[in-house]
Amino acid sequence: MDSRPGYHRRFGGDGGNSNNIPYGDSPAITGAHGRRRKQPPRPADFKLQVIIIGSRGVGKTSLMERFTDDTFCEACKSTVGVDFKIKTVELRGKKIRLQIWDTAGQERFNSITSAYYRSAKGIILVYDLTKKETFDDLPKWMKMIDKYASEEAELLLVGNKLDCETDREITRQQGEKFAQQITGMRFCEASAKDNFNVDEIFLKLVDDILKKMPLDMMRSGLSNSILSLQPEPEVPPELPPPRPPRGSTRLRKARLPCAGMYYGGQRINFNPIFQPACSQRFCPKFCNFTRVTGENEPMNLLSNFS
Amino acid sequence: MDETLVAADGKNLRAVLCQRCGCRVLSAGTATLATRELLLPSMKKKSSLADESNPDCELLAEHWLVHDMFTFENVGFTKDVGNVKFLVCADCEVGPIGWHSLEEKSNFYVALQRVRHE
Repeated sequence: MDSRPGYHRRFGGDGGNSNNIPYGDSPAITGAHGRRRKQPPRPADFKLQVIIIGSRGVGKTSLMERFTDDTFCEACKSTVGVDFKIKTVELRGKKIRLQIWDTAGQERFNSITSAYYRSAKGIILVYDLTKKETFDDLPKWMKMIDKYASEEAELLLVGNKLDCETDREITRQQGEKFAQQITGMRFCEASAKDNFNVDEIFLKLVDDILKKMPLDMMRSGLSNSILSLQPEPEVPPELPPPRPPRGSTRLRKARLPCAGMYYGGQRINFNPIFQPACSQRFCPKFCNFTRVTGENEPMNLLSNFS
Repeated sequence: MDETLVAADGKNLRAVLCQRCGCRVLSAGTATLATRELLLPSMKKKSSLADESNPDCELLAEHWLVHDMFTFENVGFTKDVGNVKFLVCADCEVGPIGWHSLEEKSNFYVALQRVRHE
């Protein structure tokens, strides 16, 4: 199924393999050779927070683990669960630090603190394609996203457990249809078990976030302030949302699906697997979603899914 | 300790890697050597972290200290254990390799004995 051998490794943080994309600050330093090297370490170009949400048992933790590495051995892992991870990836020549929050264990819709949502630049919403109820929960998760997340946050819907095709209860079309109703939401199916599409999920999301980012935000824009170890106290959903409603939520926009996809000013066709975010700069008819794109915005990652 | 690890200014001369999988935790020149006795649960016993009645811990004194969590190339933070978060490898999750107290928001320690150096 995976026709891209080795692809999923390329962006990992595996410092042990020098064939990987080298880290900019210390390419191939080994042993004594690098010892006297006096170059200032290259700081990260971006710091992005990504959260993984979805109903219980859909495989959120597996997605995070798979993105990090697939060689972990159960016996070595500490029994205190991992709260979040910092991972470094390189994309488009940029060094990006991701802070990835797995919200497992906080699946009651209200129990995930609003602070998680607010600071997230990317939100991965996961359902289990073999369990209809996890798909039926999606509108409730969308309500939370609508209420708490930044409108700029990139959304990705993931139907997980593609390896369990025989138990499938939700068709790919159903997933696609749901994602199409929401402005800027992408969709894909994945298998954390088989490590299918997992790295692509994260990289695609990062790529989208980068594309959207105004140039002046480069390097300086995101500070640590958005990321504190202790999230703010939970704001119960009954309280007014932290940001005033702007009269058009994602869901309301969703009634006006965007028919055209433009990249760099050129109209492209739908990709059957990934629905590209509405990226056009001129979409007078349907949506006011804008993003900063270069004229030559490559579709490089998208092409991996066709 | 191995003096090839530390520069004159106290920074790490070599990148800090996971002992087990080689995942890069810190790049060279990003952390400072700090001496402080910190109690870290053993890496060997799986139950040591969960079973607080029988903590199989080690007192470790030499650490790489960073003040911003985004200095790390790759690292995992455990859920709170008391007011401490332990640091683990982001890839294989082996650990704890380091220590962070919620009371000291800008101190992140990685024990030299729990990592290897490039």
